Amino acid sequence: MRRSSAYIPVSTAAALLVTSSTLFFVFTCPWLVVNVSAVFPSCVGIVFLFVMANFIMATFMDAGVFPRANEDEDKDEDFRAPLYRNVEVRGVQVRMKWCASCHFYRPPRCSHCSVCDHCVEDFDHHCPWVNNCIGRRNYRFFFLFLLSLTLHMGGVFSGGLLYVLDHPENLWELHAAVTLTVMSVSALFFIPVLGLSCFHLVLVARGRTTNEQVTGKFQGGVNPFTRGCRQNVQFVLFSPITPRYTEKLGDRLPLCIQPPFHHPESHKLSPQILPDKSLEEVDAPDSKRLTCPPPLPPKPDPVLLKNHLAALEESLLQSRLALMPSGHNMNPLQTSESPGKALYQVPRDQMGSRISPLVPQEHASEPSLLQPETHANALTLNSRSLSLKHSSRRGSQRAEIPHASQSGPTGSLQSGPTGSLSYDSLLHPAGVQPAFLPMDPGLSRGSVDMQRLPARNCSPVFMHINREPSPVRYDSLPKPLMSSIQERREPDDKDKPVQDGGIYDTPSRHSLPQDFRGLSSSRGPTPPAYGSREFLLSSAAYGYGSRSHLASSSSSSLTRAPRTASSPLHFNRSLSPSIYQSLDRQSQLPPSTLPAPLPTSSYGPQKALAYIRGGEKPEPEL
Amino acid sequence: MSSAPRTATERTKLPYCHESFHNLQELRHSASLANKVFIQRDYTDGTVCKFQTKFPSELDSRIERTLFEDTVKMLNNYYAEAEKIGGQSYIEGCLACLTVYLVFLCIETRYDKVLKKISRYIQEQNEKVYAPRGLLITDPIERGMRVIEISVYEDRGSSGSSSGSSTTSSSGR
Repeated sequence: MRRSSAYIPVSTAAALLVTSSTLFFVFTCPWLVVNVSAVFPSCVGIVFLFVMANFIMATFMDAGVFPRANEDEDKDEDFRAPLYRNVEVRGVQVRMKWCASCHFYRPPRCSHCSVCDHCVEDFDHHCPWVNNCIGRRNYRFFFLFLLSLTLHMGGVFSGGLLYVLDHPENLWELHAAVTLTVMSVSALFFIPVLGLSCFHLVLVARGRTTNEQVTGKFQGGVNPFTRGCRQNVQFVLFSPITPRYTEKLGDRLPLCIQPPFHHPESHKLSPQILPDKSLEEVDAPDSKRLTCPPPLPPKPDPVLLKNHLAALEESLLQSRLALMPSGHNMNPLQTSESPGKALYQVPRDQMGSRISPLVPQEHASEPSLLQPETHANALTLNSRSLSLKHSSRRGSQRAEIPHASQSGPTGSLQSGPTGSLSYDSLLHPAGVQPAFLPMDPGLSRGSVDMQRLPARNCSPVFMHINREPSPVRYDSLPKPLMSSIQERREPDDKDKPVQDGGIYDTPSRHSLPQDFRGLSSSRGPTPPAYGSREFLLSSAAYGYGSRSHLASSSSSSLTRAPRTASSPLHFNRSLSPSIYQSLDRQSQLPPSTLPAPLPTSSYGPQKALAYIRGGEKPEPEL
Repeated sequence: MSSAPRTATERTKLPYCHESFHNLQELRHSASLANKVFIQRDYTDGTVCKFQTKFPSELDSRIERTLFEDTVKMLNNYYAEAEKIGGQSYIEGCLACLTVYLVFLCIETRYDKVLKKISRYIQEQNEKVYAPRGLLITDPIERGMRVIEISVYEDRGSSGSSSGSSTTSSSGR
């Protein structure tokens, strides 16, 4: 929300404009109509109407505001994402910066307005005289406003001059005095407005925005956005007005999405491969799967459960066949299960998939578990429905292996130090319920509430696991898992936000909390450079050490603050909103702060002040 | 030999299924959505609205490449038509100036018309092509025309369930 002082420039401008013009029309125009011509005042009147229309459009029109991105949109890019992403525009490399407020990579020419706190498409500048951002949608109105205002001021001044020259002896008379006042007002503002108009004429001709001109983006290089002078002018004046992105949409038509779904033909190849591989190559994928994230169970979802069950029982049957030839009599079922298995192996690498992580997991853990444990325990460790399946077949109590250790062991057995945790829980299964209770009514054990506990117990196990391996594992968890973990951590973190780096701090990042504390206390003289790694990592309050190493193909190795879930993000902002916003805005100062370097040297001080004010408005808030 | 029920009707008799059906809203939004794929903008031609036609790997198993590319190309064509600077945009511009922009209150610009066409096209594509494959395209206008969001729904079809639990989902306008 804008402060009330933001309305002062726009009110002043509007008042001056309307008042002066009205006085001109009332006091000067009657004489002009009679003594000069009727055309001249009517032209001035039409131009004045045009000025007002453009002024109103520039003031009230949405500049091309991008709505903030949904959470889902950046989950792919959370932990390893760089601050910049390069994109090629007409052969020129353009950097797209990650907007921490809006949660997307800013499209080319887009910039975040610190005054309005949103990203604007083709951001030109924030104009305090209209109290609005000037962007793609309303630039032409602003430009035409400037041009028409220059014309109007010229007309008013010359009309007044004609009157005054004709009445030199009656200057103290009301009409003459008013005319003189109007003339002086218009003369006062004419030079700056003319200067600004010329500046924007040059910008339009060159196909640049004020932002780009002021920050010197294309000083030495090529502007990829220009289409030539004529095309640029044509684009500014006659391109269709793009729609508002932030409008509320109307009624949505419901659509029914119902499985089974069609699949492309090529997908049928995999089932044939698997039955051969399952017996011999169980060990081979294990090495790959050892590095894959041991998936935490998502919050138990009864709908999911029944979805999982059908899929998993087939895949598990097959896996058990592979590993326990002496076990049960499952051979007849093998071929029927492989299609299901194939299907769920394919989307394995999808982050959001809940079914598939369980499938490779069985393979990963079964071989290692076979030696120390009995078949029953080994298999029941691996997945919920494994235990379900097993218990359903054997009806044994041992099948009730704690779900809590389900994913723990798979990871811990590989990472070692926390293996004891899983083995303990393995050996003492009593009292811990599997998270996903069996669908079969005959096997239901415990209540729905109970099933949530193992999920909670599981996460600390997983957290410890995560300390040693690279956090990349954690990155690929489905979002609900991450958010559930984050939400659990949040109450603790709120109390000691800086000290508690939690599991995500690697030792090298211990300095970050101090930076962060320093920021919150001093906040002044030497804040870290916006966009620097330290700033980003400290503002996250969960230092992911891997982010700096895993910067992708961007030219910059800077990474952006992770966004695991909305709650930690808001938590980050609430933690030090002033810091976050001050540093955020500082980055925005350059575009909106500097006075436009006008070609005329007589650029008025008030315009410079206006620009500076517009840019620095947030400062007093801090 | 399986102890777990395979068909939907059997599942409805399970202790927890009725819980999930009590709240269809939840079912629709949280139970079935598996993933979202985002098709980014293609900026090689500048800031014109154009989406990448590169086929995302996540959809590899869900939809044919040609169908997807046809949809995106069609959308790109629509957007190019909307943003074309030509006769109609000149007329609209001049008319707007002459009427002191009051014309925007009265008529629908060409861009608005094309947007409606796009919305109808997306709805039709969703109905005919994407929903049967468990996908759903969100109109880019809802995302500020930065991405095409394709929601990927869980595929329970291979487990042989007859009707499963159907989910209703809404597409963009």
